[in-house]
Amino acid sequence: MKKITVQTLYEEKKKEFNLEILVGEEFMSKRYITTYDVFRPGLALAGYTGYFLGDRIAIIGKTEVSFLKTLARPVKDKRISTVMGRVEPCVIVAKGLALDKKFLVEAKRRKLPILRTKMSTTPFIHKLSTYLDYKLAPTKYQQGTLVDIYGVGVLFIGKPGTGKSECAMDLIERGHRFVADDLVKLVRRGDVLVGGGAEKSARLRHHIEIRGVGIVDVFRIFGVKSVRLRKRIEVVIELVLWDEIKGEYDRIGLQKKTKKILDIEIPRIIIPLTAGKNIAVIAEVVAMNYLLGLRGIYPAREYDQELKKVLANLETPSVHYDEDVE
Amino acid sequence: MIMIKETIVIKNENGLHALPASRFVKLADTYSSNVSITKDGIEVNGKSIMGILTLACEKGSKVILKCEGRDEKEAMKALRLILEGQD
Repeated sequence: MKKITVQTLYEEKKKEFNLEILVGEEFMSKRYITTYDVFRPGLALAGYTGYFLGDRIAIIGKTEVSFLKTLARPVKDKRISTVMGRVEPCVIVAKGLALDKKFLVEAKRRKLPILRTKMSTTPFIHKLSTYLDYKLAPTKYQQGTLVDIYGVGVLFIGKPGTGKSECAMDLIERGHRFVADDLVKLVRRGDVLVGGGAEKSARLRHHIEIRGVGIVDVFRIFGVKSVRLRKRIEVVIELVLWDEIKGEYDRIGLQKKTKKILDIEIPRIIIPLTAGKNIAVIAEVVAMNYLLGLRGIYPAREYDQELKKVLANLETPSVHYDEDVE
Repeated sequence: MIMIKETIVIKNENGLHALPASRFVKLADTYSSNVSITKDGIEVNGKSIMGILTLACEKGSKVILKCEGRDEKEAMKALRLILEGQD
């Protein structure tokens, strides 16, 4: 399971979330966040601790603060102490609210950081969850090429020298949008697989190596319309050398092969490479076939159904063209 | 032919830039073995240059060189010299 420290959260988001450290700066690098869910300790402060999600960030808003004011000191101290003893990552107070001093005492004692944001509670929770979901998402690096073809994210995989880069070039020339070549960073967001470049600098993005030519700057040559930063991956095209494949490919389009990436099943098309074959055109057809599939249209299946009708003499073949003189 | 791997520290003053990287892939291409470089847990194919460049191996960084195939020993011996090279 992926995790980040409270320190990372603070450093990356202190500006956007308007965060300040109330107590425990020195413990922030030792406290880990492992889930994007947050926990409102309202019920726990009211005395119910039967279902306490301590692995989540505890968010204290106006509800909790107002409620605590209704409690007498001994009860209040006890409840705060219980909550502070069970929260693992950190406590964040929203809306810039002032916190009961018992929280600060307990935080020091238990080495638990407390942060405060000026944002309102609900918008803050939304933003925090979105950020954490991204940071904690399962990630994988894959050798391949990612191109957006008619809005369909197509990931090309295959051994080096099978022409993935050249195919990407061809597709860009045909007006499709290039995402990444050679090394693709894959991130799982919910049940969606998103791919992008793995480059460490924005200016290193969108380059392709074409053997014999060298490194090509796609953005400069083909312009802003020909690139995009990331794309949801919907189809995997595997390029395989003809003599290595031995008939392992689909001849009709009825088989449904998939490739499992980060636990998501992605439709996989295997294309055998032969001389004179234009992979870019085939990839366009694959993308369009996928788009038809989204509308419930499966040409191979319909063809087969029609053929079965003809074989059962259920359909009278059209005679119109037979009588045509041409 | 089991697969051999070695950890190598990049010694080049400018890191693994385009010139040594291109020499590396050219040489790697001459072997039948599969070659890969891993840095920070990211593994890339040693026969394709953009992947290696994307890793951005700076001076002093540790990479793992893997070779697997019939000529893996020869490949390892020759390829590590490029990674450890000074120019």
